[in-house]
Amino acid sequence: MTLTEKVIARASGVAVVCPGDEVWATADRMIMNDSSGPRRIGPLVAELGGVRDRDKVVIVSDHFIPAANLRHAEILKTTRTWAKSNGIASFFEYEGVLHNLVLEGFLVKPGMLLVGADSHTVTAGAVGAVAVAVGSTELATVVASGQVWLRVPETIRIDLVGKLPALVDMRDVTMQLLGDLGLQHATYRAIEYGGPFTEKLTIEERLVLSNQGIEMGAKNAVVVPSQTVREAMRAVKIDAREAFLLPDADARYLARHTVQVDKLGPLVAAHPSPDNVTAASAVSGIAIDMAWLGSCVGGRLADLRAAASMLRGRKVRVPTLVTPNTADVYRACLADGTLQTLANAGAIVNAPGCGACAGVHMGVAGPSDVVMATATRNFRGRMGSADAQVFLGSAYTVAASAIAGRIIDPRDIGIGGSA
Amino acid sequence: MTPTIRGAAWTFGANVTTDDILPGKYLERCNDEVGQFAMAGIDPTFAARVRPGDIVVAGANFGMGSGRESAPLALKLAGVAAIVAPSYSRIFYRNAINLGLPAVMVDRIDGVLERDEIVISLDERAVINVRTGARFALQNLTGIAREILDAGGIVAFTRARLGQVAVVPETSP
Repeated sequence: MTLTEKVIARASGVAVVCPGDEVWATADRMIMNDSSGPRRIGPLVAELGGVRDRDKVVIVSDHFIPAANLRHAEILKTTRTWAKSNGIASFFEYEGVLHNLVLEGFLVKPGMLLVGADSHTVTAGAVGAVAVAVGSTELATVVASGQVWLRVPETIRIDLVGKLPALVDMRDVTMQLLGDLGLQHATYRAIEYGGPFTEKLTIEERLVLSNQGIEMGAKNAVVVPSQTVREAMRAVKIDAREAFLLPDADARYLARHTVQVDKLGPLVAAHPSPDNVTAASAVSGIAIDMAWLGSCVGGRLADLRAAASMLRGRKVRVPTLVTPNTADVYRACLADGTLQTLANAGAIVNAPGCGACAGVHMGVAGPSDVVMATATRNFRGRMGSADAQVFLGSAYTVAASAIAGRIIDPRDIGIGGSA
Repeated sequence: MTPTIRGAAWTFGANVTTDDILPGKYLERCNDEVGQFAMAGIDPTFAARVRPGDIVVAGANFGMGSGRESAPLALKLAGVAAIVAPSYSRIFYRNAINLGLPAVMVDRIDGVLERDEIVISLDERAVINVRTGARFALQNLTGIAREILDAGGIVAFTRARLGQVAVVPETSP
């Protein structure tokens, strides 16, 4: 069996599952945010008999913090009140984005089945879990019953080999995959990432792979866990003695792809689709109105450090907003001088959260604005105005473009000098 | 769901996103408010013009992107009785079924003009364009997804599973 099949088989209490089977599985975690969560599921959960196992529930207010208006403030209050009255210990607000907090705190562990109300729920696949997104109404039924029905997906295996060149990062890897395979390649299917390059990746690097799986339509995207995951768990005193579930050597895959990451260069996903991928140099020169560094996939510690390496001793030419994806990332950037470098360059640092990625607040794009961003996706209207254009790139490419005031290949200017 | 759905078509292309169906700025709105914003990102006049019982006929990968359930909910509250498309983004698909909104998959759907009368027949496992007579084979609505639709949505379905109330399937006409 593939890793996804193994996890689903375990969670549904059977020895073997095959693609196409419909199973009822017990969810190990149920995760939700302030938009998808208590305001929508609270009444339904009550109607269905209440929360079945509060220790499995994770709630994070990340879309509407800090509140930009009264509606937001009311949603935050509803979320907080419901979490407290239902005894949900894993409730966080003003701490960052759900998907990143779930990984930072190992609220998800290898081999778990996690169900969440948000498309980027797939991100939790970074530690070798099967993480599947559902809607609010369905999540309410899972919270009340403990179970979710799943059609066992076929698995697409992607092996990554080689070593990344300078100024090329994980986001360039996923953009290459999206450009090659397209938005629908993995619809209704699982993606399994492995290979020698993948084995050495940190969890923060792995999450880029799992997170962007949804942009290929995947039901879930799992990164085969390795010693680096075990060591990361031990470092925060999480019991990692149990054997990880791993794919069988004779697992059957619908398709196999191999990416030589040595050959990658900086890429850009041009408006209006994450699979509209081109070399950064091919769109070089397009003037931008704003640069945005943030999101569950693009506001990581590595992203902010990459941006700082470009911005050191330089100034941005367009408004540049930075939204760390968790408070821990914020504090780490404060401690190591990254925030100082970003601020000296003229960037503005926002509160940790989803920020402008979902077009809600804290830097939404106006009519005809051209935005260069590390956001998760760039569909028409995603970051605000339906007339705005959003280009996606790595933190290196976004920071370089902020300095130039136009889209640019980061290798054209190289890293910055002294602060 | 009823075995036959009949309504006027509203046509859309491929890769309609949930940002098109319900833009992010409306995420702050309550569930019962979103019908008036259905398709606001792609056609702001849609919600005012669509009539109860009408059918959305779209290209492949309908509902991609954000998993916001308010997208299919907005279509349902605006009066849309069913969606017909060659494929869906899986979260949108699941959300629609869970809300009791039939998301019908066909092998292909072409030659449909605005307001063509469309018949979705579960008995014949086909979608029929009344004007042209063209028939398109139904690809889905089997297994658990069909059971959920027949129960009227996943809440009623779950209530029955939990033994709270028996599912009362909708009767044939």
